[in-house]
Amino acid sequence: MSANYEPNIVAFLCNWCSYAGADLAGTSRAQHPSNVHVIRVMCSGRVNPLYVVNALQQGADGVLVSGCHPGDCHYMEGNYYARRRLGMLKDLLEFAGVDPRRFHMSWVSASEGHKWKEVVEKTVEDAREAGPFEGFKRQQIDW
Amino acid sequence: MDLDKLRETAAEVAARDDVKYLVGWKKGSYGYRVAPAFVENAEGAAELIFTPLCTANLATYLTLVEKLPLPRGQEPDDRKVALLVKGCDSRAVAQLLVEKGIHRDEVVVIGCPCPGMVDPAVLAEKYPETEEPAELKWSDDGFIIAQNGEETAVPREELLAEKCRLCRYPNPVVSDIMIGDPVETWEPAEDEGVTEIEDKDVDGRWAYWQEQFSNCIRCYSCRNVCPLCYCQDCILDRLNPTWVHRSVNFSENTAFNIARAFHLAGRCIECGECERVCPANIPLGKLNRKLAREVRDKYGFEPGLDPEAEPFQASYKPDDPEDFIL
Amino acid sequence: MSAMLLNKEKWPDFVGKLTGKTLWAPQGEGEEMRFAPVAEGEAPALEYGNTRVPPKQAVFPQTETMFRFQLGDKEVEVPELKEEAVLLGVRPCDARSMAIVDHLFSWDEDDPYYFKRRELVTLVGLACSEPGLNCFCTSVGGGPGSTEGLDLLMTDLGEHYFLEAVTEKGEALLKEAGDLIEEAGDDQVKEKDQLIEETAGKIKRTVDHEGIPEGIPGLWEDKLWQSVSASCLGCGTCTFLCPTCHCFDIQDEVEGFDARRCRMWDSCMFSEYTLHTSGHNPRYTRRERTRNRINHKYSYFVDKFDVIACVGCGRCVNLCPVNIDIVEILKQVKEAL
Repeated sequence: MSANYEPNIVAFLCNWCSYAGADLAGTSRAQHPSNVHVIRVMCSGRVNPLYVVNALQQGADGVLVSGCHPGDCHYMEGNYYARRRLGMLKDLLEFAGVDPRRFHMSWVSASEGHKWKEVVEKTVEDAREAGPFEGFKRQQIDW
Repeated sequence: MDLDKLRETAAEVAARDDVKYLVGWKKGSYGYRVAPAFVENAEGAAELIFTPLCTANLATYLTLVEKLPLPRGQEPDDRKVALLVKGCDSRAVAQLLVEKGIHRDEVVVIGCPCPGMVDPAVLAEKYPETEEPAELKWSDDGFIIAQNGEETAVPREELLAEKCRLCRYPNPVVSDIMIGDPVETWEPAEDEGVTEIEDKDVDGRWAYWQEQFSNCIRCYSCRNVCPLCYCQDCILDRLNPTWVHRSVNFSENTAFNIARAFHLAGRCIECGECERVCPANIPLGKLNRKLAREVRDKYGFEPGLDPEAEPFQASYKPDDPEDFIL
Repeated sequence: MSAMLLNKEKWPDFVGKLTGKTLWAPQGEGEEMRFAPVAEGEAPALEYGNTRVPPKQAVFPQTETMFRFQLGDKEVEVPELKEEAVLLGVRPCDARSMAIVDHLFSWDEDDPYYFKRRELVTLVGLACSEPGLNCFCTSVGGGPGSTEGLDLLMTDLGEHYFLEAVTEKGEALLKEAGDLIEEAGDDQVKEKDQLIEETAGKIKRTVDHEGIPEGIPGLWEDKLWQSVSASCLGCGTCTFLCPTCHCFDIQDEVEGFDARRCRMWDSCMFSEYTLHTSGHNPRYTRRERTRNRINHKYSYFVDKFDVIACVGCGRCVNLCPVNIDIVEILKQVKEAL
């Protein structure tokens, strides 16, 4: 692993809680790593688990999905479905040999700017420890 | 299993006015092969068999029906389809009912309690097949192979398919008619195939699956034979957006297999067909059984038992486990 | 063309002489053998029935990059095919299938990718001594000792391999072997011929295709197609493992600004094979697709190129998950005619 490896993290944030929470972390000038590329979705329940697989295939070293706390979902139940599906995905990825440090899920509410900072630090640290994920990347083959 | 009773019942059901045809098993064209039979009358029913070679899960034919647009004036033929099922197959029917893939009044389920099937690959290796179709029967402590006029008795442990070793439901869970008495259930074995991989470390697991998925030729046999893969427009075939490219390389093969296994989370009824049909001998069953086990252990749910249950991925409980969430 | 003998003890040396080229040979365990590169210094043991995946991979890879480009550019980069390869242990049926598929890829224009690879690849065949259960090559114009499509054919005579060159490339290989091989005498030629005849005699399954190529299109609406295809799953196993199947799809794959156009195997048994952009699908059900497959192999191809596009390798019979047996189907067709 080269000394200047910076993990590439893709994060799916729900519009109402996590995205707002991340925004709050920004406006509060909380210092946190900038490796995370945010994709805003309306609800964590909208995240098709295949997005995670696709992100890893396209070169992400780590993926994060973050939503509202259980009971607080803007659409009532989206995060419950996400919890089930992404829990299953995490088990499957781990079984298939993808380092469990590469996929995380979190609950971050709109007022938890400090929690967002911690989640990002943990995700980036884990992906840094796990190293660059070359194995799954799409390849261009001859012959 | 009384074969005459089976054939009689099948003939009766197939002749019913409200039944289009009956799907069962018949002798294949050579060796140990068994082919699906589509029976519409007593003549066809006379060919039906139920032997330790009937591993095929016929429930996949319930959702494989293709409906051509009809000429004007012609009414669609929506009579029922009758189906012979073993324990595992009946779970597929139950799960299809849960998901409303079929309606209860579209199908007549004829249950065949199953004492356990033979692994055709192991069988062919130990007892080479000939071009004459062979017959297998159950005996008190195993199987009897009748080939070319000779009979060989083989103990159960030697030939029993792995999926049957792990089977928890040999008696059909859904049926309209049951042929014969229920079989005695046996203690399911420890799933060593899955534990073996769980015991490896992350790199070991990746290396294992890398070797397996590199052999995948993306023939889609696993998907097509699965009774629960019945989307008319499979997401993994779509080109706009392209989730998984059609090109065959390790990355796409892994994505395909992981995606398919994920779509079966909480739905797979562990019939083992995907593994049986794979021409590259990839142990797909391990992926699906691992998820099935997680669903059992963490959520206390088993698919394919109760036709009135809620689908696993389309429901939730407020106290679902969330120890993995930051 | 020369006929030579190679003592089996000198086989590793013979293999060692084939330098400068990648060597491929069947490797693996049990039923699941595949053509894979031979490790440096190793001599493959040629004891196997036949590979699961046919060696058509070597000239018609499952995924092939046609060219690469950057989005926004006007130039494309074409891959340079220059790696020579020798395939050891190809069965006569598989080699014959390449000769058959050659017709198609040169139909109106020569396919540059296919023929460049054909040029770079040398096929060293191994005659069969034990036919598989479902082999029927003798019924469709082939045989356990057929040399069609091969550059060099080896026959196992027990302690020796009988080597016969079929093409210039084969002769060149024999020349490279130098003094490892010796001239074969009349006795050995007779022994080889006898062995091949014996093997041909062991083939149990036969297909009588007299009248089928002309007659089968007339059975278009026959109900036999419904019964034959009722159990078909629409998977691609028969087509992907068939040595003469050659259908392909061309797609563009884009990652950011890097793009490539690639060609990959397609199967006429997939439901979207003939799906038009309008949504109409002329082969909407498996009945139409099964009918098409048999018609193509035993009639349309004969119509265009005078040869049945089936070499009788038996892979489709062995590996069809639901035991759809082409030999049985042809029997039914013959009866219906």
